[in-house]
Amino acid sequence: MAELTYREAVRDALSRAMREDEDVFIMGEDIAEMGGSMGVTQGMLAEFGPERVRNTPISEIAIVGTGIGAAMQGMRPVVEIKYQDFLTLSMEQLVNQAAKHRTMSGGQLKVPLTVRTQGGAGWSPGAQHAQQLEAWFVHVPGLKVAFPSTPEDVRGLLWSSIYDDNPVIFFEHRLLYPLKGEVPDELEPIPFGKARVMREGSDVTVIAIGRMVPEALQAAKQAEEEEGISVEVIDPRTLLPLDEDTILDSVRKTTRCVTAHEAVTRGGFGAELAAVVQAGAFDYLDAPIERVGAKFAPLAFAPAMEQWAIPHAADVLEAVKRTVARS
Amino acid sequence: MATEVKLPRLGQGMESGTIVKWLKGEGEQVKKREPLYELDTDKVTQEVEAEADGVLLKIVVDSGEVEVGKTIAFIGQEGEEVSASGNGATPSPEAEETDNDATEAAEDSQEEGSPAPAMDSQRERGQEAAARTAAAATEKVADSNKVERSDGRIKASPLARRLAREKGIDIAQVSGTGPEGRIVAEDVEGAAVTPAPAPAPAAPAGSDVEELQLSSTRKTIARRLTEAWQAPVFQLTVSADMTRSLELRERLVARLTEDETKPTVSDLLTKVCAAALVRHRAVNAHFTGESIRRFPYAHIGIAVAAPNGLVVPVIRDADRSTIQEIAASRADVVARARDGKLQRADLEEGTFTISNLGMYGIEQFIAVLNPPQAAILAVGATEQKPVVRDGLVEVRPLLTLTLTCDHRAIDGSDGAEFLRTVKELLEEPALAL
Repeated sequence: MAELTYREAVRDALSRAMREDEDVFIMGEDIAEMGGSMGVTQGMLAEFGPERVRNTPISEIAIVGTGIGAAMQGMRPVVEIKYQDFLTLSMEQLVNQAAKHRTMSGGQLKVPLTVRTQGGAGWSPGAQHAQQLEAWFVHVPGLKVAFPSTPEDVRGLLWSSIYDDNPVIFFEHRLLYPLKGEVPDELEPIPFGKARVMREGSDVTVIAIGRMVPEALQAAKQAEEEEGISVEVIDPRTLLPLDEDTILDSVRKTTRCVTAHEAVTRGGFGAELAAVVQAGAFDYLDAPIERVGAKFAPLAFAPAMEQWAIPHAADVLEAVKRTVARS
Repeated sequence: MATEVKLPRLGQGMESGTIVKWLKGEGEQVKKREPLYELDTDKVTQEVEAEADGVLLKIVVDSGEVEVGKTIAFIGQEGEEVSASGNGATPSPEAEETDNDATEAAEDSQEEGSPAPAMDSQRERGQEAAARTAAAATEKVADSNKVERSDGRIKASPLARRLAREKGIDIAQVSGTGPEGRIVAEDVEGAAVTPAPAPAPAAPAGSDVEELQLSSTRKTIARRLTEAWQAPVFQLTVSADMTRSLELRERLVARLTEDETKPTVSDLLTKVCAAALVRHRAVNAHFTGESIRRFPYAHIGIAVAAPNGLVVPVIRDADRSTIQEIAASRADVVARARDGKLQRADLEEGTFTISNLGMYGIEQFIAVLNPPQAAILAVGATEQKPVVRDGLVEVRPLLTLTLTCDHRAIDGSDGAEFLRTVKELLEEPALAL
């Protein structure tokens, strides 16, 4: 077992794929000499050269469109959108092109494109550089959506994304990059649609994604130590497809459910999770499903206001306590 | 956050109630489920329980008639300010926002209020403040909505309902300890285990002692009958030869068309009592405490065993109805009583009540008054019995009737005269015409 940071794990998956497979290449703004805005691709230009580590103009629609074209021609491109906020500029390519070609061509075309992107609050980037927009893409048939939270998962899932014949929107969280974790010596691909039970518990199930996974684990620890509440934490890892079985088995066991993501609560992925849980485990629910997410407002620059708006372990803990409340 | 106390709807069709008196004063501590005030509806006077813990901050309506849903008081934290108007029943449009998040509400009011994006920070700040107030109001409304549900709906989690179903526990008998009194799984599990050890330590181990929490209907029955029991009553018993009444019933049945209800002995008795009541108005009366109210018409209540307990729907103007009409009314109200679909109007304005246990083979029994009515008739079974007629023993169908009279309204002779008339009319039904 080796220990890698989340950042190194992403780089490891990209590099291994590029070493083994000529068809894999990466493309994005400032990813070559600069190594990307988050330093994820540092050193890769030296190893793989400018043909396969390509800087692009500042045009997200061109980046994704080029990626789609290359993918349809048989390559396995991994393109990077520097901030997920600017996925907005590539929406036409993602939603109307990437997601549709395979079906509309009756399977004659495939789009094995991976779109890596990152974002998240916690470092005062303001309203236009810190959003969590994963829920938008879960609404589009033809796409797959991954949002891993650990080094092991980010590496294994990125590998699976590269070798999936469908377009994958691959979300990384900026605050997770320095997070360290053990990874197997051999890269083990992690299948899509398989959740991970991060911690077992018997009273409440917390389904968390992205940064809220470590936050939920901290809340679970506190709940256990301070309140005697046993919390199970599940990371779905891929939102589309979603591992409903693992989630439902857990909620049927614990009878209570909290969802947690950094994206704003309204219309967030937690709403989809809540719908899945109520439909599949209605007769097992002993409390209303609680949703934890950011407050519904454009994020402020001011650190204090930013911290106030986004959810933390304390918010998860409060929600957990509400589900087991007695009046 | 102060909770509004609103006038609850205590029964089907109740639109208003009269606050008789408050059992707690302003500034006094109240506990959830503690009697808070006395409420008089035209059916009953009852104590209404507090639905929140706290201090009774303000009594908005001290006494008198109030519409259902109107705020009558506030319960909250000591020293908390409440709006004097207490217009919680009609929240402002902003307050109907269901989200408590101030910023979110600001966003919404912005959408409603101005078509252009509001970039003016001054204005935004103002809106946010306004929205914060709105959100606060919302929270109050939402909270009170939660706790003020007195419409008989039971709040229970889906899991609690399933457990109750599986264990055969009536969820209505379980008291909830979850937020806003919601019944949660633990409560059902508690209810499943409590009866054995807790309430009956003396009972042999393993005995199935069943403890049923009182439903509100049962509580009402208990309270009203306890009140009724305190009235000074006397009973009069008489037996009637039912030969001719039974013949009459047979003739009526023989003439029925297909869609008509078959008249029963009870229907005939209702008709006969109605005829006797208008002749003996002393018995056809209410005792109100201050007066005796005698009625020129007979609205006769019929005691019906409904699934949730005894109810007494009223057959109106029985004195002016044919037996066939009475049978049709009776069939209608009894069916609706068993389905729990009686309206309040069905239960109102009875002047006299008949309770019939004849179908169970009961020969004779004593009924408890149905206040404010001054009398109630207990009807046993019609049974073949030996009687002496003109010195000879004959077998006749005899019906035993026992009249319970409130002596505050009725003297022995009034009751006796009424009962004699009933007997005569049953023995010669043509005289009821």
